[in-house]
Amino acid sequence: MTPLLAARGAGRRFGKTSALEPVELEIWDGDAVALVGPNGAGKSTLLALLAGALEPSMGRVERRKGVRVGWAPQRPAQYGRLSARENLEFFARLEGEHDARAVAERLLADFELPGEPAPSANLSVGNRQRLNLAISLLGSPDVLLLDEPTAALDPAQRARLWERAAALREAGGAIVFATQNLEEVERVADRVAVLRDGRLVFAGTQDEYDRLQDESLSA
Amino acid sequence: MSRVLLLLRKDLLVLRRSPLLLGILLAYPLAIAVLVGLVASYGSSKPRVAFVDEDNLPSTLVLGGNRFHVDRTINAVSKNVKLVRLSADEAARELRNGRVVAVVTVPPGFIATLRGMVHSPQLELQLSTGTISSRVEQQVQALVYSLNRQLQRAYIASNLRYVTLILQGGDGSFLGAPITVLGIEKAQALLRSMPPTARTRTLLDFLHDARLALAHTGDALRSTAHPIELVRAPGRGRSQLLSASVEAYALGLTITFLALMIAAGSLAAERDENVVGRLGRGLVGLGQLVWSKVALAAAVALALGLAIALSFGLIIQIGGVTGGEPWRRLPLLLLGLALAGGSLGALGALLGALAREARSASLVALLVVMPIVFLGLIPAEVVPPAGWASDALPFAHSVRFFRSSLYDLSPWGEVARQGLWLLGGIFGGLARVGARRLLV
Repeated sequence: MTPLLAARGAGRRFGKTSALEPVELEIWDGDAVALVGPNGAGKSTLLALLAGALEPSMGRVERRKGVRVGWAPQRPAQYGRLSARENLEFFARLEGEHDARAVAERLLADFELPGEPAPSANLSVGNRQRLNLAISLLGSPDVLLLDEPTAALDPAQRARLWERAAALREAGGAIVFATQNLEEVERVADRVAVLRDGRLVFAGTQDEYDRLQDESLSA
Repeated sequence: MSRVLLLLRKDLLVLRRSPLLLGILLAYPLAIAVLVGLVASYGSSKPRVAFVDEDNLPSTLVLGGNRFHVDRTINAVSKNVKLVRLSADEAARELRNGRVVAVVTVPPGFIATLRGMVHSPQLELQLSTGTISSRVEQQVQALVYSLNRQLQRAYIASNLRYVTLILQGGDGSFLGAPITVLGIEKAQALLRSMPPTARTRTLLDFLHDARLALAHTGDALRSTAHPIELVRAPGRGRSQLLSASVEAYALGLTITFLALMIAAGSLAAERDENVVGRLGRGLVGLGQLVWSKVALAAAVALALGLAIALSFGLIIQIGGVTGGEPWRRLPLLLLGLALAGGSLGALGALLGALAREARSASLVALLVVMPIVFLGLIPAEVVPPAGWASDALPFAHSVRFFRSSLYDLSPWGEVARQGLWLLGGIFGGLARVGARRLLV
């Protein structure tokens, strides 16, 4: 049995700057892995490497055969001059959805996105983030990689997102999410990876992470 | 639908949402093409030439009984060059500093030599170095040609008066000295009044032949003066503004501008929109992304180039001029527009990949367009290095393709050569390599 997704010594440099030192991380069926750490720790780079959006400068990323990955970067990745519907239809076709229109229609309704032909650049920050998340769900992914997904969402939308994540895990999928929200870590994650200055400094279960925090506090 | 076509469709939709941008992108190069055409036309037709008169030319001159208006003749030349009367010193200084491109000097004694009608007087011409001097030399040669034609008429008339004097006899002058000539006719009459002998018959035969020959002297002199005469035929060609070259350059310039800007801007915009990573994770390869921009540039070039060519064709048709109407060679022109748009789009994609941000890419494309176009406008035979540089870029090849496909009687050789160059895809390959920068 192989993990759904694994970073095998995967790291990334931008010129002379190291954004992420080699990382070992495995994502298994049903996992909910939280990536935590201060800004610039390398969380987004690790997610981009796992998503295949960036090529690792060293090491490799392995994906179990047939596994599909959805990715929602921290900054929404969509075309500002296209409407929400057009964005969804465009990416649905690229993902190979048979009925791109129907899929787009369903996601518009699920994420309560406006259906009018206004450019998505005119949407509110929250709606742009919803569209970003909706696009990441195209192609029925088995692993969902979410970079600070709830930062611009209202409480109801947050709840709906985590319900969706839970359903994915129950179906044998996994989620990996970067967050600064410790409450979300506690509520959603069963494993935690801590990054600092581009290095993976801790990887363990939620309980192990809690103990680490208690020790840090007592120290 | 292939991924490249999906991206192309998306880009066309985005472009349709920006009518102002599209309008500016179309109007700007057309305006530049017209301005360049006007400047080039003005620059080539009115070089500034100094005129130094060291012989105090009179305003009118009588030669061989004919009156010449010297001022009018000089003014006629001013239609082609701007003649400015200067002293010899001023003219020399202005030639050195480039304010005039040539100096025409009338040396002392010019009129006296002319009046003598024995030796040819000389005009002196000094030229600057550089590309325009050959054209100025042609203009001054045209001035001398015009003067010579007028003088030839006077010389022929004067010579014919001597012939008439020889034929009919009477009083005249030669080199200022009065002369009295018996004349052939009177000599014949005199010989006929004498008793006929073998010697008088021989003289009469000679005089008869001489009279016949001299009777044709006028025609002979005129044809000797003008072995070939240029006669302006009736009929109309195109105006300079609608000439074949201007049409090909207008098409080339517009497409170069559009293709470079659109391909560079749209590729860099993928990074600005933060979608390169999303596309790059297995949905669309970088090569496909680059080729979609090449296809976008080709599609825009095809549509707008065709509109420009048809507009030219309509204007030409309305003007009643035949030859070069685009509908005769439409398939060939369409092929050329697509190839040129694609090749220039590949160069634009390379710029977009290198610049990475849409604003920077547009600025870089704008900065690159002008040198590319101006290099293509400089004739290779005048500045060979400019020709070599231009040959390495798609603009000159596009213009040659358009010119040949629209106007050459047998365009296939030239069209095949230029088409193969445009199809080469060297810039597409470089853009594909450069596109990796978009992921950083």
